[in-house]
Amino acid sequence: MATQLKTAPIGGEYEHGFHDPENYVFQSGKGLTREIVANISELKNEPGWMRDFRLKALDIFLSKPMPWWGDTQRLAEIDFDNIQYFVRASDRAEKSWDDVPEDIKKTFDKLGIPEAERKFLSGVSAQYESEVVYHSIRKDLEDLGVIFCDMDTAVREYPEIVKKYFSTVIPPADNKFAALNSAVWSGGSFAYVPAGVEVKTPLQAYFRINSENMGQFERTLLIAEPGAKFHYTEGCTAPKFSSSSLHSAVVELIAQEGSTIRYTTIQNWYKNIFNLVTKRAVAYKNATVEWVDGNLGSRLTMKYPAIYLMGEGARGTILSMAVGGEGQHQDAGAKVIHAAPNTTSVITNKSLSAHGGKTTYRGLVEIMPNAVNSRTHVKCDAIIMDEESSSDTKPTMKVHEQQSTVEHEASVSKISEEQLFYAMSRGLSEADARGLIVNGFFDFFVKELPMEYAVELNRLIKMEMEGSVG
Amino acid sequence: MADYPVAKTTDITPGRTLRVVVDGTEVLLCNVDGAIYAIEDVCTHDGAPLDQGELEECRIVCPRHGAEFDVRTGEVLKLPAVMPLPTYSVRIEDDNVYVDV
Repeated sequence: MATQLKTAPIGGEYEHGFHDPENYVFQSGKGLTREIVANISELKNEPGWMRDFRLKALDIFLSKPMPWWGDTQRLAEIDFDNIQYFVRASDRAEKSWDDVPEDIKKTFDKLGIPEAERKFLSGVSAQYESEVVYHSIRKDLEDLGVIFCDMDTAVREYPEIVKKYFSTVIPPADNKFAALNSAVWSGGSFAYVPAGVEVKTPLQAYFRINSENMGQFERTLLIAEPGAKFHYTEGCTAPKFSSSSLHSAVVELIAQEGSTIRYTTIQNWYKNIFNLVTKRAVAYKNATVEWVDGNLGSRLTMKYPAIYLMGEGARGTILSMAVGGEGQHQDAGAKVIHAAPNTTSVITNKSLSAHGGKTTYRGLVEIMPNAVNSRTHVKCDAIIMDEESSSDTKPTMKVHEQQSTVEHEASVSKISEEQLFYAMSRGLSEADARGLIVNGFFDFFVKELPMEYAVELNRLIKMEMEGSVG
Repeated sequence: MADYPVAKTTDITPGRTLRVVVDGTEVLLCNVDGAIYAIEDVCTHDGAPLDQGELEECRIVCPRHGAEFDVRTGEVLKLPAVMPLPTYSVRIEDDNVYVDV
């Protein structure tokens, strides 16, 4: 296959590196104090319980040490006093595309959001800086009782549902970055699908960081009532910056009895961004949760989508892929806790490192006592493109129940000479042959994506490949 | 039932906790509105003590990762813990607290 794109190698000039002039309604200034946190809450007209929640989370954040594990050397580069925690780009979330300010629209045009709208996907909400500026939901979904809006709106308009579920899956004390998010969160998606309702087309949101040194702390909460079924997708691309930006999201998924949630995300950050995200789902009886997670770019990504299988017969699937290029470390993985009988999980993780990049698979599967007849299958494969790059696999299995099945397979390889020789004997150039093999390697992931994402990801992988064979 | 008192009721005021060791078991006494409950002083998530955690009404919050338990029943109220806490029966005689481990 041909790789036609004229793009720079991994870590070179960034194709999505455009940068709009900054023109904001409100900026919080750098650093983090109780006043700033209280201010954020006040500006958003939040109820008292959310303000108290934020302030308490701030105390937890300040008292918690940085993680002692993982890439501590890179984590130490984060300067919390040099980050702006809140920027508001527009006074209110807009309903109609025509009302969205022009420069924001331009950014979204470059990202292809209007196309998504034209294609009449279920709902589009896009986060630009800290708050969602554009949001729409299809009328027929609204009639079924589906709620899909930005998190700030949800706190104001659906306080009962939000209060019932907010932070029940990820408490602020879970880790330092979850605490930080809890204190300063802004934007993110909220979806609530009532019992028995199936949403056939994906709910979509798009995230992007624009302001330099801007932290983005979106908060997403998705709830499927018993028997409900939906698919949520989000993507991230970020423009290039000269100094480090921090992205730290918290994503909570609640799948009630017999429901299904699929969460698809592709993250493509510029190489100076720290992407430290906490994602966790809980699946009750016979519920299914699927994470489909693609990681490209960033200085350091630490992300381990988790599924807590709390009810009998619950199922969890985590598919993830990572590409670590020059100066990047993709520390990604997966976590499944089997806390009930007859639960099953499948984890498939594939990564590629090139140009001195590093990938790490860090995973945990824990089978609790009494989780009888639980089954898990973990597969992690890595391709290392050259001698400067590296890959680590750290799969942890804790099995407390003997009557369970645990499988693990892993491979680390380079692109095999035999495969190359075969493909080249069919008339492909070496570069094309490598591209073909790498696309095949990631095919398990790409084929699970909605069409627009599959196209985008294939393009990105091609770009990365072009660099890595130069 | 340990046949010796492990604490005085006056040692644990409402909303407070007290860590004691009863026959080799680490026990956390929790005063919920005047009623004293006993749980094992080990978070089932990470296996470390709960005694530095806050007691909010009947809920004890793990200070490390935010897991929550109902001290009356040991039930898990919030992740990341998934296994319930062992609980022990408590007897008060005069102002002495006895725990059955």
